[in-house]
Parts: sequence; structure tokens; C-alpha cells
Amino acid sequence: MITQGAIEMILSSMRDVEFGYGESPVVQGVTLDVYKGEFLGITGPNGTAKTTVLKLLLGLLKPWSGRIELNTDAFGGQKPVIGYVPQHASSFNAGFPSRVIELVRSGCHGRLGLFRRMGAEEERLVQSSLEQVGMWELRRRRIGELSGGQKQRVCLARALVQCPDVLILDEPTTGMDAHSRLELYRLMRHQTRQHGITVVMVTHGLEEAGRYLDRIITLEKVEDDMAPQADLSQAEQTAGERWGGE
Amino acid sequence: MLAYEFMQRALLAGTLLGLIAPILGVYLMLRRQVLMADTLSHVSLAGVAAGSLLGVNPSIGGFAAAVIAALLIERLRAVYRTYAEVPVALLMTGGLAVAVVLMSLGKSLSQSFSAYLFGSIVAVSSTQLGLIGAAAGIGLLFFSVFRRPLYAITFDEETAGISGVAVRRLSAAFSVLTGMTVAAAMPVVGVLLVSALLVLPAALALRIAGGFVAAMILSVGIGLVGIFGGLTLSYTVNTPPGGTIALLLLAFLILGIMAQKLWLMVRRHGGYGRRHTKVVPAIKTVVRVTDRTEYRAAAQGKE
Repeated sequence: MITQGAIEMILSSMRDVEFGYGESPVVQGVTLDVYKGEFLGITGPNGTAKTTVLKLLLGLLKPWSGRIELNTDAFGGQKPVIGYVPQHASSFNAGFPSRVIELVRSGCHGRLGLFRRMGAEEERLVQSSLEQVGMWELRRRRIGELSGGQKQRVCLARALVQCPDVLILDEPTTGMDAHSRLELYRLMRHQTRQHGITVVMVTHGLEEAGRYLDRIITLEKVEDDMAPQADLSQAEQTAGERWGGE
Repeated sequence: MLAYEFMQRALLAGTLLGLIAPILGVYLMLRRQVLMADTLSHVSLAGVAAGSLLGVNPSIGGFAAAVIAALLIERLRAVYRTYAEVPVALLMTGGLAVAVVLMSLGKSLSQSFSAYLFGSIVAVSSTQLGLIGAAAGIGLLFFSVFRRPLYAITFDEETAGISGVAVRRLSAAFSVLTGMTVAAAMPVVGVLLVSALLVLPAALALRIAGGFVAAMILSVGIGLVGIFGGLTLSYTVNTPPGGTIALLLLAFLILGIMAQKLWLMVRRHGGYGRRHTKVVPAIKTVVRVTDRTEYRAAAQGKE
């Protein structure tokens, strides 16, 4: 069980970050902290750069100005293992010649390196991850035969198999039915509470996810047309304040 | 046929290419870079022409040009993220234009060019055989050692990068290998048909294989049968080897697709296949569609 103290340790912080794709900035003055072991939700209307903020946090994009720091002390000085489920997970490579179990096993490659073979522990991890997302029964199916929601769950299982320190989910419930969505939120909350994993999730479904989240960051456009901005500084609030969380 | 030294060389070259080209083709198809092979062969032709004019071995000139072009495509791929096919088109046009201009400068080159354009069994020299051997050896080693990170970047580069895979370096190495293989395959199948050797076996294998490794093995099998069959047929009926190999591989693909469709049809209609198909009840899903309009109208009426 994770203590309150662990949740208060800052894992990653963005300070006054500015970034854009063309000439004008997409986000400006973004200041945001991610705490270790929390289940953080990032939400906002379309076009408020939610995925951009995630990618900045992940280091996939370099900010124009400002600072993004990762607190490696939170992981004993080591680089954290990051599991990632992208927004488009359900739509890419429909014809990829892999069965579900083959793809999920590939999540173990990071810890196995180039040559070490899958052992009993890794196989156990694969089974447990597939069972957690409810895809064990379909493990022999080809990826292309799955529905969008099922593909999304397989990608999540692949991320879980890595035993990540941080799990980044970009609209992971796309294509999922209501029951699967709730199962996912419960699973993520369980991961944060029992295994100390930090989960950052971009979502539109606050009505459903809100009660499971520790904190919600809302992105809003404070100016339109010429210079769209996302102002996080005033929008941050805890799930407890908004939803009377669990 | 095997008594002739040039046939022995051609079959050896074919075997080596049959081992590496289809594996490369599977990755190229899955990474949506199929046209890259065509482009590199055109640029390689410019390298052959430049090599001839400068007094360098044309094969080495072609090899160098293909490798440089592969790296350039990789660089441009990052620049044209949204339109990934643009750098391929740019280099294909540029390569062919340079080749045509250089060819016109050296009139004596025209004849040997037809061997490069359409492939020729007798064109496989010892130097070329050495280059094919080097490309195949390096390629097989590369795909064995880096099979795991390659699988990851082929499925999704972004996720692979976040998981710690050195995506850019691995992708660049893959491009260089593609350039080497394309340049090495030119003497056997010719510039215009080089992509047939990479793409056709992979296209069939990806349709019928159940898993990733199975797709690799199948593509190599199909490629080897196509190359041996094509070379034998070409020798017997005196046709250009490149065209014969490509036609045979194309025939395999068409027959394979037809056979697959026939098999699926037989299975659906409860023929031979059904008795051999194991249906797992937990996976079988039956969807029932019920029109609820009447019930709703009735419910509203009651209210």
C-alpha cells in the first residue's frame, strides 16, 4: 500500500513552459507538477493541446522556453520505466502480423535486452496483464481481427508488462464500452494504490473517471484565433474538490 | 545448367538475396516504405553511371549511392513527417534524372546499362557476388541481433522511443541495410524490378502468416522458390532473369490470394475446413440485433 508521503513527492515538473508547432505557440506559461503514485487526469476541450502537454512531459517535444524536470531521486536515481499507450493505438497497423500474446510479450523486451529469453516470470507477467485488461481469452487472435477498444486494451496490457514506474495514457478509453472504461479506471487506481505506479491519463470522460482520479488538470483556451494558449495555472484542482472523490 | 560457372554464381547470388530481401520486404511493408526500394535502385543507377565515368568500379559506385540516398531519405522523413512519400518521390526523380544525364555523357555506357536495368545472369561478377554476400551477411546478423527493437519500431516508433529504443539510430541502420541490399540485388533482377524481390514475397507472406516470425520464414521460402524457379525458367526459355523472377513471384501472389479466398469460402460454407476448425466457445461471439422501436413506442403509450 502506498503512503500519503509517496504521493507528495514530485516526480516531474513543468515551469513556465512555452511550445508551438508553427510560428505561434500552442501552450504558454504552463506550470504543472506530477506527484509520485498519483492518478492524474488531464482534460479539456478539443484543441487545447492535451497530447502536446503529455509529449512535453515525456520529453518527446522540446519546449521553446521554460523548464521540464524529471526527479530521478523519486526512482532511486535511476531513469524511470515509462509505459505509454498512444491516442491512435486502436487505428495503426491493422494488418500487423502478430497475435495478441506476441505483441504483449514484446513489452518484456526492454527488461530482457537483446538476447535473454522469456522466462517463467515474464510469462506470468504477460498472463496477469492480459487477465487484468480482460484479453487473456483472446490471446491467440491476430491484432487485425480485434475491435478498436480491444486493441486499446492490448496496448495497455503491453504497457503493464513493462512493470512501469509511470504509465502515460492518451485517451485510452477510445472505442471501449462503458463497462471496459470503468474497469480500466479501477485498474489504474489499483495500480497507483497497490504498486505505486504514477498514472497520467488524458481523458474526455470526467463524468466516469472523475471519482477514480486523485487530481484533475483542466486545459482551457484563454485566448482564441491568433494565439491559442493553454493556461494550467488556474485550472488545477483536486478530484476531491470537484467530485467529492473516493 | 549447374555446370556453367555463371549459373553457379547466379544461383549463389539468388540464394543470398532470397535469404535477406524478403525479410527486408516484410519490414518495409509494415513500415509503409515499400517505394523506398524502387527509389534506391534508381539512385543506385546514378551511382553506377558516376562510378563508370570516374573510373571507379560501377558496382561500388551504385552501392555507395544507394547507401547515401537511404540515409538522406531517413533524414528527410523527419522533415516531411506528414507527407512521408515526398522524400521518396524527390529522390526517385532526382536519381533517375542524374542517371540519364550521366549516361548521355559516356556513350559507351549505354550497353552495360541494359544489364543493370533489366538484370542479367552473366552480369553477376565476383565483385558483385562479394557485395551480395556482404549485404546478406550483415543483414542477417542485423535482423537476428536487433529483432526485438526492430519489432517495436515497426509496430509504433513513438511508443518504442518512449520505452528506450534508439529509434533514429536503428531506423538509419535499417535504411543503410536497405540501400545495400537494393544495390546488391541490381545485377540479378535489374533496377526496374528490384522491389519485386523485396515486396512480392513479403506481400504474400503477410497475407497468410499467423504471426511475425512465421511471416519472415514464409517470405524467405516464397522468395527462394521464386528466385530458383525464375532463374531456371529464364535459363530454359531464354528470357531476362529479372522479369522472369518478378513474373513468377507475381503469379505466386495471385495464386496465393485466390487460394486464401477459396479456403475462406469453403470454411464459411461448412465444407472440408469446418471439420478441422476448432471453435473455442469463449471466443465465439454471436451478435443479435433487435429493433426496439415498437417496445419503446408501447412504453411511451403506457405513460
